[in-house]
Amino acid sequence: MTAMTATAAPTRARSGGALTGTGTLLRFMLRRDRIRLPVWLIAISIFVPYFFSAFEQLFPTQADLAQMASFTTGPMLGLLGGPGYGLDPEQLNFFTFFTGLYLLYILLAAALMNILLVSRHTRVEEQTGRAELVRANVVGAHAPLAATTIVAVAANLVLAVLVLAGLRAYDAPMAGAVAVAAGTGAFGLVFAGVSIAAVQISEYSRTSSAIAGGILGGAFVLRAAGDMIGEHGSALSWITPFAWSQQTRAFVDERWWPLGISVLVSVVLIVTGFVLSTRRDVGAGLRATRRGRSGAPAWLSSPLALAWRLHRGSVRGWAIGLVAGGLVYGATTQPVADSFSGEDNAVVELWAGGAEDIIAGYLNMMVVLMVITTGVFVVLAAGKVRAEESDGRAAPVLATAVSRPAWLAGHVLTIAVAAVVLLLLSGAGIGLAAAVGTGDWSMLSQSLIASLAYSPALLVILGVAAAGYGLHPRLLTLASVLLAFGGFAAVFGEMLQLPDWALAISPWQHTASYPLESVTAAPLLVQGLVALVLAALGIWAFGRRDLRSA
Amino acid sequence: MTAVIHIENLIKDYGKVRALDGLDLTVTAGEVHGLLGPNGAGKTTTIRILLGLLRPTSGHAEVFGQDPVNHAVDLHRRLAYVPGDVELWPNLTGGEAIDIFSRLRGNADRGLVESLAERFDLDLTKKGRTYSKGNRQKVALVAALASQVELLILDEPTAGLDPLMEAIFQECIREAKAQGTSVLLSSHILAQVEALADRVSIVRAGQVIESGTLAELRHLTRTSVTATVHGETTELAQLPGVHGFTREDGQARLEVDGEHLPQVVSALADLHVTSLVAHPPTLEQLLLRHYGTEGPEQAVAAEKSAERAASTHAGSTRHRRGKEPAGTGTHTAEEQR
Repeated sequence: MTAMTATAAPTRARSGGALTGTGTLLRFMLRRDRIRLPVWLIAISIFVPYFFSAFEQLFPTQADLAQMASFTTGPMLGLLGGPGYGLDPEQLNFFTFFTGLYLLYILLAAALMNILLVSRHTRVEEQTGRAELVRANVVGAHAPLAATTIVAVAANLVLAVLVLAGLRAYDAPMAGAVAVAAGTGAFGLVFAGVSIAAVQISEYSRTSSAIAGGILGGAFVLRAAGDMIGEHGSALSWITPFAWSQQTRAFVDERWWPLGISVLVSVVLIVTGFVLSTRRDVGAGLRATRRGRSGAPAWLSSPLALAWRLHRGSVRGWAIGLVAGGLVYGATTQPVADSFSGEDNAVVELWAGGAEDIIAGYLNMMVVLMVITTGVFVVLAAGKVRAEESDGRAAPVLATAVSRPAWLAGHVLTIAVAAVVLLLLSGAGIGLAAAVGTGDWSMLSQSLIASLAYSPALLVILGVAAAGYGLHPRLLTLASVLLAFGGFAAVFGEMLQLPDWALAISPWQHTASYPLESVTAAPLLVQGLVALVLAALGIWAFGRRDLRSA
Repeated sequence: MTAVIHIENLIKDYGKVRALDGLDLTVTAGEVHGLLGPNGAGKTTTIRILLGLLRPTSGHAEVFGQDPVNHAVDLHRRLAYVPGDVELWPNLTGGEAIDIFSRLRGNADRGLVESLAERFDLDLTKKGRTYSKGNRQKVALVAALASQVELLILDEPTAGLDPLMEAIFQECIREAKAQGTSVLLSSHILAQVEALADRVSIVRAGQVIESGTLAELRHLTRTSVTATVHGETTELAQLPGVHGFTREDGQARLEVDGEHLPQVVSALADLHVTSLVAHPPTLEQLLLRHYGTEGPEQAVAAEKSAERAASTHAGSTRHRRGKEPAGTGTHTAEEQR
């Protein structure tokens, strides 16, 4: 009897259902990710001890902390932090301060980790054809997706545990620490779900990551708007997964049911992904691809035109996103001004130099945020150029009568023009909405001038990307590092009192904070020159190295 | 005869790995030159140097008498290239890609593109991401063949094409040759090279180890003889130039070097031969000899299996052994389709 069961069981497992092979695939995925995933988990969770040790140094007394917290109240808090519980002087402590202002960024990073993780193990595999090899073995139809789901769930669990450990190491109360940690894991899980559903929709990993990334970006903007409209958020915030993790009132008066929404939504999304995956073939998307023209339009006849054709689609997408983002942020100008009116505190003094400058300072800050966002476009577009080479699409072009410098210069010029136009568009969005809200139409020109003034700094990022890429494809990473640091310095630099030399690395640190300060030409010329020299260096170097292809 | 491509003692290192180790190659104007060799032999590296995409570590390479790196743009107007693994832009149609290539080269002939597309049965309106491997290959072939250049550089150009398309490809290459176009054809498909090439260079481990017309190369190699004989064969087995002699019942098999063939024929005459098969080596055997480990038994075994393959499917299967880098098996299988 026992013998029969013992033999029967493995037979059944071997003849197998849709999940056959999940275990093997799971081990395989974990092995492929044995470096990448731990690096992501540690890089995200390390920010918990980092922030707390910084707080201890920067805010030795409760008064210091209270002063800092008062910088970011009302709409500012909504924009940069979240619904903000426990930030009033009586309840304020390191934990509520952290949760109110910094948890948001940990959530963002967790979402990115999940989007990339799911895309890496599903769509990228199918797109490269490796999935076919795997599926041709004894592997059930759902096994790859099931194994991916397990890896994602496990990664989010580990992330939650690491965050919890970080918080407890700084003596955070258990309930609040659990709320924050679980919120982080749950948020990650929601975006694992979003990606699992999104990867079924499009045939192309870049498109499906873009869908998931677009949902994250849209949720971020909606959350910002929602949290700015009302104290502790509004119905608009609750539409987004951010609220489900930020509304647990951690370290104040914990409530757990918002986390339930995350779990529920994750489960629905994951199940949706599995259902959708049964309705399509391996390698195919749900959205059928259309036919196109049989020949190229007449204008498509130079390396520059080709570069524009290749970047065009993403430039359009970014234009829509940046204008929408600009309008949303610009619309908050009047509420921000109102919330500070009549206040004569150190906050206004430090932040804007005086109450009358509040709007100018706010306008400047929004433009800087847009500069950083446009910088993300620059880095991603440069990554596309690198992919042209590594995927083997550059070689046939360079085997025609196109010189290496002409090829790279075409891309650099396209990205440069696109970046400046995108920045101006976002500035126009901010200015327009701010002008309508405040009734002061000079806002529009101010915002456009500010955008223009920051353009040279933005082009420095592109220069670094071009120079790095020209020397060696791997050095393109330098541009991402510079952008990430510049973004960090712009948002946290003054608050964390980074030393001047560190701040000086950030390109936009050298631009006058127009309209708060008046624009001076010298730094802009220097930045423009630096960008130009770096780009020229990259174009020169690219002509002198080997082409690298898969 | 002027040299279209001239390479001397070419060396290319990737870090510590030496991809080309003193390679010499000359392609004269108007000839179809076959470049044969296993994966990793250095064929693609050679081609990429000729295109100026890679810089040689040392040595000398020129195309039309000019340096491929410094005169890349001028040279590329006179040549067209088909890579072995064509990648297209996912959002652009095949027709758009072909137009872009021909316009960037500077000699667009749209009419020729359309007639070639028809011959190759290629749908120009499909987006790059929806093409199969074979169709991507056709896109690059149509772009190159429509360009009407002086030199075609083809790196395993028909990988993924079906036999019908293979035949059309060979037709097109013959037409190009008739118009005076020179062709450098790197290939795994021996039947293709046998059918098209005027001269062949065999590449192994970064060197050309054999170069010449097919007739010249055959001269260097052994003839396979299978005979049903009666009588004592000890003497036959010991003749100079005879290799890998075996006898099972009445069946004697041997290989004989070209210059010793007469002696073997006379020896056979005394053995009451009731059946006799002798054939010149196929290119297949020729390659196997150069790829295989040089142990005589293995070489014979390899050639036997090659014979069987050759008798059923000329050139469609190949058996590999010896010093091949590990892990290339699946690629080979795919490329042989």
